[in-house]
Amino acid sequence: MAFLRVENLTHTYNEKTAYAKDAVSGVSFSAEKGEIIGIIGHTGSGKSTLIEHLNGLLKPNDGQIFIDDVDIWQNPKDIKKYRFRVGLVFQYPEYQLFDETVYDDIAFGPKNMGLNAEEIDIRVKETIKRVGLDFSYLEKSPFDLSGGEKRRVAIAGVLAMNPEIIVFDEPTAGLDPSGRQMVIDIIKNYRDTYNAAVIIVSHSMEDMAVLADKILVMNSGKVAMFDTPQNVFSRNEELKQIGLSVPAVTKVCEILREKGIDLPKSIITVSDAVQHLLKLKQGGGTVD
Amino acid sequence: MIKDLTIGQFYPAKSLLHRLDPRFKIIILILLLVFIFIADNFLSLALTVAFVLTVLLLSKVPLSMYLKNLKIILPILIFTMLLNLFYITDGTVLFEYWIIKITTGGISRSIFMSARVVLLIIISASLTYTTTPNDLTTAIEKLLSPLKFIGLGGAVHTMSMMMTIALRFIPTLVEETEKIINAQKARGADFESGKLMQRIKAIIPILIPLLISSVRRAYDLAEAMESRCYNGGKNKTSMKQLHIKAGDIISLCVSLLFCASVIVLNLYF
Repeated sequence: MAFLRVENLTHTYNEKTAYAKDAVSGVSFSAEKGEIIGIIGHTGSGKSTLIEHLNGLLKPNDGQIFIDDVDIWQNPKDIKKYRFRVGLVFQYPEYQLFDETVYDDIAFGPKNMGLNAEEIDIRVKETIKRVGLDFSYLEKSPFDLSGGEKRRVAIAGVLAMNPEIIVFDEPTAGLDPSGRQMVIDIIKNYRDTYNAAVIIVSHSMEDMAVLADKILVMNSGKVAMFDTPQNVFSRNEELKQIGLSVPAVTKVCEILREKGIDLPKSIITVSDAVQHLLKLKQGGGTVD
Repeated sequence: MIKDLTIGQFYPAKSLLHRLDPRFKIIILILLLVFIFIADNFLSLALTVAFVLTVLLLSKVPLSMYLKNLKIILPILIFTMLLNLFYITDGTVLFEYWIIKITTGGISRSIFMSARVVLLIIISASLTYTTTPNDLTTAIEKLLSPLKFIGLGGAVHTMSMMMTIALRFIPTLVEETEKIINAQKARGADFESGKLMQRIKAIIPILIPLLISSVRRAYDLAEAMESRCYNGGKNKTSMKQLHIKAGDIISLCVSLLFCASVIVLNLYF
């Protein structure tokens, strides 16, 4: 059985009123340890509502969430411990920084876990390295940092709890290219070190193509697709219909294909495309 | 908890009250607020209750919306009732024990005071439920516009702009607060249990980010306004012009009639 299983999850806002609306209905998917799942869908498709269920911030109206084969709502009093097992990094997490020093802010989560001072100290120092900042940052005020640095400190605040599952909502939104790369590296590095299951909500198809092992496509609260990035992005037309698109390089390949160049539909990254084109060139194909 | 906050909330509906000129609504509200306190015998109080109930029905806003407001002030209401009940000692004594003394005067005063508080809340809520915040501030600006003759025109405009902005940002701030609460909960913050001091301390991780983002928003807004050449009230015209209709005059006359009746009932009964 998969490590994280979401079964038939349904969430209705304003239940039993005239405004009742299913934000998420009948969603099922699963994630293994070490896997990266990408969630895509246009605004209002229920992505945010879905991820707020994973650590028990929202309670489903119907359906279950299993972590390690245990229903997280089996004993509602225990729901808080899932907040530590499932880390949730919200969109623009830097707006939630509050403490006087970077150290205290990162220590907030571990402190709430009830760890002792020594263990907290180890976690904070380990995590600040993990997000690519040195110890000199620990004594600074989080409000004196640059945008990218703030983002990394905020992510560190969640990583410091060492969650087994970590969820990111738009982790690269509003960052410059080097900042984006940095965040992507942090995510990969955390997955590799802790063999954690990672779930990423993103509007960047390029990021998804590089990062995700599987992609969950949401459309008006339902699962439209749940498949590998290659398979998902080869269904270009369907994606367009629900207001999504494919990575830029896949579009380029499609145009080339229309011009008669023999490229497969499954190309989703630039390096993929380069390899295929080189192969065609060596094989004396139509590429000049 | 935070979603129960309904002060300044607009409830869209099509009713006589929604259509009324906001300036008239404000004038009528002020009249009613005064006369709720002028009514000082049971007959005039009954008339006031009847009038307020009519307004409530005419607003086409569900009763539950009004009750939500009353729920918030329930502790104040109970406190007022008890205070009056025990503090007023005129009239016949009905019950006496140790220092507790309940008299007819106390009972009637406590009924009056609590009825007044309830009416006050309902009638004020009916204004905000039926008037959009923008209409409200335009109306206030228009009503205060005579102040420009004593050189306070700029102040009136500034004040009404401040009110518009404040009202405009209530929903934004509520949303922001919920986001921050969720984010801190995701890091294991606990707002629901613990002793009083712990609970107060638990609010800090919400308050500081909220304060910082409010300041940031204020700067952004100021910059956006300045880049569109906003320079205060001078020569500013408003997009929405208010026009007095027959219905507005009639409503005002009915309200004045009510006020006169309250005075008559007070004097002769």
